[in-house]
Amino acid sequence: MTNFKLLTATAVGAIMASGSVFAADCPIKIGGMAPLSAPGTVVGGEAMRDAMLLAEADINAAGGVLGCDIEVVIGDTEGLPEKGTALMEKFITQDGVVAVGGGYHSSVGVASKDVANARGVPVVFAETWNDTITGDKQKYVFRIAPLSSWASSTIWQYVLTIPGIKKVAILTENTDYGIPAAEETKAGLATGGIETSVYSIDIGTQDYAGIVERIKADRPDMIITLATGEAGYNFAQQAADAGIGPMDVPFVASQVSLESKAYWENVPDGNYAFVQRIGVPESMFTDEGKAFAAAYKEKTGKGAVESYAMEAYDSIAILAQAINEAGSTDGDAIVAALEGIQHNGTLGKIFFPYGTGKAPSEDGHGDEWWHQWPDVALTMIQYQEEGENSGEATIVFPDAYKTGDAIIVTE
Amino acid sequence: MLFFGVVIWMIVWSIIGSIMIKRRYLARDLDTSNANFMGAMAGAALGPVGIAALWSRTPTKSGYLTVGLGLLTVLIVAVTFSFADPENICVTSGGFVASQFVNGLIIGIIYGFMALGLSLIFSILGVVSFAHGEFYMIGGMSVYYITAVWFPGVSPLIGVMGACAIAFVLGAVFERLMLTPMYHGKIDRPVEYGILVTFGLAFTLQYFVQATAGANPVKVQRYLSFPRWQFPEDGDPVWIKTSRGSLTLFDQVSISSPRLTAALTCIFVLLALLYLLHRTWTGKALRAVSQDREGAAIAGINPDRMNMLAFALGGMIAALAGALLVQAFSWLPQVGAIPAMRSFVIVVLGGLGSLPGAFLGGIMVGMVEAAGTGCVPDAQKAASYIPAYGMIVLTLTLLLRPTGMFGRRFASSTHGQH
Repeated sequence: MTNFKLLTATAVGAIMASGSVFAADCPIKIGGMAPLSAPGTVVGGEAMRDAMLLAEADINAAGGVLGCDIEVVIGDTEGLPEKGTALMEKFITQDGVVAVGGGYHSSVGVASKDVANARGVPVVFAETWNDTITGDKQKYVFRIAPLSSWASSTIWQYVLTIPGIKKVAILTENTDYGIPAAEETKAGLATGGIETSVYSIDIGTQDYAGIVERIKADRPDMIITLATGEAGYNFAQQAADAGIGPMDVPFVASQVSLESKAYWENVPDGNYAFVQRIGVPESMFTDEGKAFAAAYKEKTGKGAVESYAMEAYDSIAILAQAINEAGSTDGDAIVAALEGIQHNGTLGKIFFPYGTGKAPSEDGHGDEWWHQWPDVALTMIQYQEEGENSGEATIVFPDAYKTGDAIIVTE
Repeated sequence: MLFFGVVIWMIVWSIIGSIMIKRRYLARDLDTSNANFMGAMAGAALGPVGIAALWSRTPTKSGYLTVGLGLLTVLIVAVTFSFADPENICVTSGGFVASQFVNGLIIGIIYGFMALGLSLIFSILGVVSFAHGEFYMIGGMSVYYITAVWFPGVSPLIGVMGACAIAFVLGAVFERLMLTPMYHGKIDRPVEYGILVTFGLAFTLQYFVQATAGANPVKVQRYLSFPRWQFPEDGDPVWIKTSRGSLTLFDQVSISSPRLTAALTCIFVLLALLYLLHRTWTGKALRAVSQDREGAAIAGINPDRMNMLAFALGGMIAALAGALLVQAFSWLPQVGAIPAMRSFVIVVLGGLGSLPGAFLGGIMVGMVEAAGTGCVPDAQKAASYIPAYGMIVLTLTLLLRPTGMFGRRFASSTHGQH
């Protein structure tokens, strides 16, 4: 080595060492929030955990971040806001994470985002829908899940296309996800002259006999479930036992019904249920989506990949890319990188058009579009065969992704 | 307005009745344990007239009078409600009321049965088992593993019996290993020890199952699928109609197969338990230990053995409730939390240590929950308040009768000791 090269190498080394690139301890830790015990949605949480650990493996196999491996520190939120807040504190103060991904329940997101923001640690929420999570325009908070108001509109717009629906019953959980989602769905249905009754329940409720009888007496033309976790399974099967299940009336089951194996085990009379799904059909997956789906199915033994697993994977992958692009683990630098990022994720190209550089109001949007990915595909699927995989179920709405006609059980 | 006006009137007179009748009993140096409750019911049901009548007739009182006044109070509330909200479905639809009544009764029987186990343990050992919900969970999980994982296709009856056996052995072993130090003065604070050690068991079981079985919800197929049948064939209404998962009476009352089989089994096992307790030597020994440990020991009964039997039986009862309900609810390692909490409410409501109290308390909580869920006018809130309905009844009962409906006073230092 010549003296010049040696000098140059030494100088570059000194510059890099003085910066924050080497300030990060290896491995670089990223928090991964997921509900892994009741009353949280354990099915969803385990899927998200598996996906986030796959993201960790893929990123490390590709060379890691800033020359370091990453370590995804998985934490259990139990679906409870107070646990979520405590977990976020633990991630930051004890585990030393530089950013946080994952997150399933809106109430957890609403409570824990303030901790992350106050401590200057970027968080990309994967599956928390409540509008206020981004609506507070906090610097360090991003989201790739759809807005609650936006997701609700997919359901009510689909209901408006079904002939003969005059009265709808909504069963919702009394949480930061359920209540706004029910109100938005009710308001949307009202635009089509549909009367709506809302029944709210505690998260974790098991026995629905009384409320099922009350809904049955109301004689709704359709039932919509906006409850996360096992509550969705319990309600659907108990409604089926009472004669108002998916095989008796048009029935939108909860999102957790995307986990096909658990769905059919817990709701054996659940055929013809509609379920909202985030993301395009599997046949239209990006290359990243196809690669993830294959690895995920191999790891978990499942026949289909759930949308929340894809969101969880993307939440970690996008943070890794942002850290690389920032060249630092500093929170402000990661935020700046996220605001300008173009990430090829499993769900598509992820970007955040609104933030410190451009306010949502400049394009006539509400504050909830702050740090919000605006391009999530939302579809309605229907199980049309017992034991069917959600990935192979018929997409019935919207027309852009439709793969078949819906079976309306009352016709 | 009418409804709340009447309720306030009843509350005011029940408070006055409670205070006055108790003072009357105190002044006459009589047993006051039921005076509050009776005075309150007389005031609530009949106002000043009822209180005056009771006052003048003191000390004439009976259980029938108390129950009669209580039922009259409930009737007045119901009638007032029907006038205040004539459009309410509980007023306009007799079929709906019947349906809620049956559902409340069925789930109440199951609640009461589970609480029975907790009460049995407390009455013998003087320990409140905080692992009761986990025995319930173990019951359901055991059936799932026996019938769906280890021996697929085996009869559910084998699964239920296996679950009972597992819970019984688990309870007996735990009692021998962890609770025996309480009986011989080795523990300074047996009450706290009992709480902590059963808490420990609860966490251990919950996380052991989560670690080994995972936290995904599981469920077993319903034990009994009805054939499609109706009687009469061309009747209107059809008296009885069955479909795969449910039975419908008079086109109005539908009962799911899992609940029906669970409730009927609970009644059958309850009768068997009553036979055991009242007609066999072992049952009499258990009751003897419950009433007077030292007296029982003098009579040749080994109280330690009865402690073990009571704890194992109590755990087995909870496990049986779980084994019967795993066909109705999705099952998780944490599934026992809500039923355990409800069992605590029921045993305190019924009276700590009272077996009939636990069973009737369960039915009462089931009925109140069904009434609240069905009749609270705001549909959005009706189901959200389910946990509160039982607590309201419990609070009112404890205010008027601190020992619960059928409770008796326990010496605070008993706790399984000689």
